[in-house]
Amino acid sequence: MEIPEGWDLTGKKAVITADRRGWTKYYAGALAEAGADVAVAGSENSDMLEATKYVKNQGRMGFTLETDLMKRDSVNSMFEQAAEKLGGLDILVNNAKVDFGKRFEAITEDEWDILMNFNVKSMFLCCQAAGNKMMAAGHGRIINMTSDLAVRGLWNSVASCAAEGAIHQLTQSLALDWGRNGIRINGIGAGWLTTKNQSEENQKELLVRYLPSRRRGHPSELSALLVYLSSDECDFVNGQTIFIDGGALAHA
Amino acid sequence: MLEALSLNGKTVVITGGGTGLGREMTLAMAKAGADLVIAARRLAPIEEVAQQVRAIGRRADAVTTDATDTESVRLLFEYVIKEFGKVDILFNNAGIVREDGPKPIWEITDESWKKGIDVNLSTAFYCSRAISKHMADRGSGKIVNVSSGYGFRGGRDNYMYAAGKGGIVNLTRAMATSLGKYGITTNCIVPGFIPTEITDPDSERSRQRGRFIPIGRTGVPREMGPLAVFLASSASDYMNGEFLVIDGGGLAGGIAPTGHAPEIPLNI
Repeated sequence: MEIPEGWDLTGKKAVITADRRGWTKYYAGALAEAGADVAVAGSENSDMLEATKYVKNQGRMGFTLETDLMKRDSVNSMFEQAAEKLGGLDILVNNAKVDFGKRFEAITEDEWDILMNFNVKSMFLCCQAAGNKMMAAGHGRIINMTSDLAVRGLWNSVASCAAEGAIHQLTQSLALDWGRNGIRINGIGAGWLTTKNQSEENQKELLVRYLPSRRRGHPSELSALLVYLSSDECDFVNGQTIFIDGGALAHA
Repeated sequence: MLEALSLNGKTVVITGGGTGLGREMTLAMAKAGADLVIAARRLAPIEEVAQQVRAIGRRADAVTTDATDTESVRLLFEYVIKEFGKVDILFNNAGIVREDGPKPIWEITDESWKKGIDVNLSTAFYCSRAISKHMADRGSGKIVNVSSGYGFRGGRDNYMYAAGKGGIVNLTRAMATSLGKYGITTNCIVPGFIPTEITDPDSERSRQRGRFIPIGRTGVPREMGPLAVFLASSASDYMNGEFLVIDGGGLAGGIAPTGHAPEIPLNI
């Protein structure tokens, strides 16, 4: 099928960060389906290996780079290797995230630090390293994966909400700093997602009855927007976090 | 993933599709495979776009409609159902910035206020109301509203547009919340400064205003195309009550010179 305008990533080089949630494959696979070569960076505990399989299934180059996303040296080294093997760097997808829920008074200092480092500091480190290359090239696309928690509160989720809020603001402000360097930074805010089959039993769940679209989403439903935000044609969308959540924010 | 972007077999109704951004969205959706019904008050521009759609190989019907008149709206959708059998997607794109220039609030007449709200807000409500039951009965449908940066922030002496486009924002949320269970999604495109021949005939002045936009330029109507296709297609099925802002970074904090700040060293 002819790739529609706005979804053609033929010849593009992308780096995506991986985690233990297991969804990296959907995004890496989509980038590859649109024509990009993809490097997947994460810890040995992450889903990076499976993600590269999805890339190769589309006939594109895909490889893993073991990285400690919380450490500057590791991140910088990863981008050097990625850019060399890919032959450049056009797209960064900041996907790595750890989920965490606890009543605020019980959160330990270590837990707070690890959550902030893995979810937020990693983005700071990756954006800086990727940004150096993108600024030199005068062109780049960065997509920060975030969630509804960027703009609303939630029980047992103070740390996560604070992290996503930080990401939301990073997205908006970085878009201003780099607006005239040919780099666009946007975010995709996921709602309640699942990869499990949504049976009738699930549909009786209180949360699902409350969501206007009456179901959870699947991570792959974020892919089309991810590819568009990564494309050259998407040049006037900048600094925006676009939510895909079945109406959760509209109702709340 | 890519197949989901096709609009083959889809019927789209778009108000104000003859000019400016509406025109580009119409043509992009046609290229993606949709048939279109283009509605506006004046026939000439929409018939011209309809011909361009036919040249692409899709069907397009131009229907003169006054979307502020509920009877005219009723007749529009009666026609569409009769001719096409269904409506898959509705684009509420009709709207006007200012018909008679900026005025201080104390100079705005009753008539001017009502008309501004009618065109910018009520049209979306009337058209959505007219076709929602049909979409609900079919168990699927997509409604795309068009707001503006002024739907999220104020502007000087721009009351009807700001209030109307702001109303569109929450109308989108209300519709998304209420109609989601019928399989209907309602979302909203929020264009920033994308001058067209209608809104900004003075292209030099438009270029100047690009200075204030973070990426250093104003938008081009063509850039609306992929967004329209995306929101019309099943690739956006889980989006509901969402806002797609396309403004070069304006709403991210960039427009006014207040978006700029000096460097400050860190000193605890």
